[in-house]
Amino acid sequence: MSVNTYDAIVIGAGHNGLIAGAYLARAGKKVAILERREIVGGAAVTEEIFPGYRFSEFSYVVSLLRPEIIRDLELPRHGLKILPLPSTVTPMDNGDYLAAWADHEPTRREICRHSARDAEAFDEYSRVMARAAKAIKPVLSLVPPDPTSMSIRDMLGLLKLGKYAKSLSEKELYRIAKLVTQSSADLLDEWFEFDPLKGTKSASGIIGTFLGPHSPGTAYVLLHHYMGEIDGAFRAWGFAKNGTGGVTAAIAASARALGAEIRTNAAVKQVIVKGGRAAGVALENGDELRAKVVLSAADPKRTFLNFVESRHFPDEFVTQIRNFRVRGSSGKVNIALSGLPEFTCLPGESPLHRGAISISPSIDYIERAYDEAKYGQFSKNPYIDMIIPSMIDRDMAPPGHHVMSCFVQYAPYDIEGGWDDQKREAFGETVINTIERYAPNIRRIIVGKQVITPKDIERIAGITGGNIFHGELLLHQLFFLRPAPQWADFRTPLPGYYFGASGAHPGGGVMGAAGKLAAHEVLRDWR
Amino acid sequence: MAHDIIVIGAGLNGLVAANYLAKAGKRVLVLERRAMAGGQAVTEPLGSGFGVDALHAGGQLRPDIIKDLGLAMPPTTSEPLVSLLPGGQQLRLTADADERTIGSIARLSKQDAARWPDFVAFMQEAAGFLDAAYRTPMPRLPHVSLSQGLPLAKLALNLRRLGPRDMFRVIRALPMSALELTEEWFETDAVRAAVSAVAVHGATLGPMSAGSGYTLMHNWLNRGGLGHRRVEGGIGRLAEALVTALEARGGEIRLSTDVKGILVDNMAVRGVRLAGGEVIAGSMVVSAADPRHTLLGLVGAPELPPHFVWQMQSIKMRGSVAKVHLLTDGNHGLPAGTLVIAPSVRHIERAYDAAKYGRMSQAPYLEITTSGPVVSLHYQYAPYALREQDWSQERTVLERSAVDAAVGVSPSLRESIREVVSLTPLDLERTYGLTEGDLNHGQLILDQMFFMRPLPGWSSHATPVEGLYLCGNGVHGGGGISGASGRNAARAILKG
Repeated sequence: MSVNTYDAIVIGAGHNGLIAGAYLARAGKKVAILERREIVGGAAVTEEIFPGYRFSEFSYVVSLLRPEIIRDLELPRHGLKILPLPSTVTPMDNGDYLAAWADHEPTRREICRHSARDAEAFDEYSRVMARAAKAIKPVLSLVPPDPTSMSIRDMLGLLKLGKYAKSLSEKELYRIAKLVTQSSADLLDEWFEFDPLKGTKSASGIIGTFLGPHSPGTAYVLLHHYMGEIDGAFRAWGFAKNGTGGVTAAIAASARALGAEIRTNAAVKQVIVKGGRAAGVALENGDELRAKVVLSAADPKRTFLNFVESRHFPDEFVTQIRNFRVRGSSGKVNIALSGLPEFTCLPGESPLHRGAISISPSIDYIERAYDEAKYGQFSKNPYIDMIIPSMIDRDMAPPGHHVMSCFVQYAPYDIEGGWDDQKREAFGETVINTIERYAPNIRRIIVGKQVITPKDIERIAGITGGNIFHGELLLHQLFFLRPAPQWADFRTPLPGYYFGASGAHPGGGVMGAAGKLAAHEVLRDWR
Repeated sequence: MAHDIIVIGAGLNGLVAANYLAKAGKRVLVLERRAMAGGQAVTEPLGSGFGVDALHAGGQLRPDIIKDLGLAMPPTTSEPLVSLLPGGQQLRLTADADERTIGSIARLSKQDAARWPDFVAFMQEAAGFLDAAYRTPMPRLPHVSLSQGLPLAKLALNLRRLGPRDMFRVIRALPMSALELTEEWFETDAVRAAVSAVAVHGATLGPMSAGSGYTLMHNWLNRGGLGHRRVEGGIGRLAEALVTALEARGGEIRLSTDVKGILVDNMAVRGVRLAGGEVIAGSMVVSAADPRHTLLGLVGAPELPPHFVWQMQSIKMRGSVAKVHLLTDGNHGLPAGTLVIAPSVRHIERAYDAAKYGRMSQAPYLEITTSGPVVSLHYQYAPYALREQDWSQERTVLERSAVDAAVGVSPSLRESIREVVSLTPLDLERTYGLTEGDLNHGQLILDQMFFMRPLPGWSSHATPVEGLYLCGNGVHGGGGISGASGRNAARAILKG
């Protein structure tokens, strides 16, 4: 049995784990990052599922990745290259479409083609949302203070938060308060009338969440996604060269350059507890690694319920983690194509093929898709967000061929009767049928398809419940309540054990904030 | 001028506000459109003349109001909530965690029975917090003045006093769905459903909607538990007590007096105009009508800042409650209590689905109360805005569907029916002045609560019109039968 000793061990080489490890290494610590799979990346991986066709298997777009992380870790030097995803197009049932670009003006003109009233509202809407996103942005890089604590750190945190609130105008505060609490349907109904516009915008309010656009709280998820467009590194949604795996590859390269050791095929079985402190980890293969500090970038359920015996935590904490909602609600269908899908609304090859194609004709369409899911079925007419990465990065598929990534909602983790091969196949068929309504040639050009259910996300990427955010962005699971009250500061009830993944503040997307903040807290405690 | 303040509407909130103002020495004139006081809290003859609590089967004023105003209140009794399950089984729940309740739950699940007392204790704490919040004036953000800051600090202290565990539980529970909340406590769907039914009562939310945790606390607080609090002699006696007290204080009430407009000059109130054209001058008007009707209907959009008008238009009302009252020969076969047909969470949620798309529920969530031979059915969901029908034609469908559902749990009911009177959401609007049939004058949803009720920045009961105040269910403290918003408004006005 080999025994290795480190300053810090990071569990999981997804983007958050890699970022946490890189920051710790950058501070001079001896770091090991342990990955269960044979490749790094977690849910941000590129894999060649069919020979010659490379897929961003799970997470498929980037925009939220924090700019300071890109700078600090010198990611461009380590190979990060972001290609812009220039547009979103929503095919309509009448053969027309609604397009949107990162630029305001052309988008406004396009909306005007459908509704003059909405085009006018769009100006003000864009301003208001941009202001709200900018106003709420600083909260993302804040360690949530515990409002019940009397400690100096928490008091200072609360004071900082109070000061920050005071710096906002009354209008901004109300706008944020409303955005955090209302439904995306209500928000959009206040502004717009054109169904495909409302449908497409409402879709970003349900991503990764087991709620419909009429559910209160979805406007926040919408804002969460909007933040990337406003403040992300690229001011727009982007696609990484070589797929989303390109992002984690660059972070891994940076971490290695900073001296971190990354071990793949190193599944953690348990965190070793000595004298009431985390002292290392035991691997599935029997190896034991020692460290002063262990930081988990796995999901909260595995972090707190699997890796550590419950007796090391207070009962209340264990109950809170058990109650944390991780209901997966989305699936992926990755398709290898021998040609370009011909969308009825986009004859030939259009520049719009380089952007996202969204099946979201109306809010009701998405709400109905949710209705089926809440009763334990996958949506018969799902919301689909498609991109064709090979249109942006030709290296993703053989010449003339294409890969298409389809994000699909809703596919409930707890499907009635449980997921099996037959249901997975039926789910894939439903998705193809839906696409076929808008791109009739799709079936003829399919070379291969990979259907990923929430159960598969759990199995392959190791995310309990298959939720892409490691836990839904619900109001009662945000900020100082994420993942549990009083433990939102990246520490855990077990000294020496830290938590820095999507299940922590500020939550999901390829954002990296949790990994970075957690590493900072580790270093703060280092004495 | 014979009066200092005109109050529009003699519902409970209007009367409570009028009483507080009169008690402080103001000369108050209350104008009521209908021929009786009480607003939503009326006991009145329907159809051929059978008397019934038309909209609310029960309710109680806040104890601090009763004390402040020295009201002589009629006795009330708290009913159990009885969930009627398929196969004739009954689940009987009270907030006392008494033996019968525990026994009733234990027949379904020992574990749930064991957890019930803790759940009740938690709900009492949560309702207690909400109670404190409802009497605390809400500030304008972010510049909280000292006079607002102190009560707020007291509220925060109140919350902190619960201890971290319960404080977080309460905060978490507000935005949760009733399903999520009850799932954390109970394993049995029937128990979750019975509690969820209380959560969505009167709301256009389903048990899976975020925020139904809040409405559960709200309804629990107002009911003092799960079942209704029945008023001996009818809920109309609450208004009678308030009227008696007001008249004793020198206040005046004019019934059958329909206010058609609030006269505004230079953004200041000048009086009100009645249906007949009569003008009553006055420089202070307190409206117990809903905020949207008050500002957009009575004042009128041209008098108001455009942004304010737009915000007012965006207040979500969307009532989806209908009532069907049955006069029977007495052999309806229904037990006493607040009876609910909500056998499963999915049953309620499916009923709610229809409302989302502007349809009436096929299989409703029904609440049944009886008073002698009269059977009252509270029907959810019956959305005010039907997409493909309109309420003038849907009345018979509503009545049939309500009766069928009730007969499903008591077959002898059908034979016993002598008369059917229904109140559609449109009737609620036309007869009772409830815009869009919304009992709460604005849905109790997270983005319309506390400092965002009725609108962010306007939670102080004032309006952009000088001298015009709001005291109905649509403002802070409001929703259901409690008088809280009337009390809050009067206190805000008197503080000036």
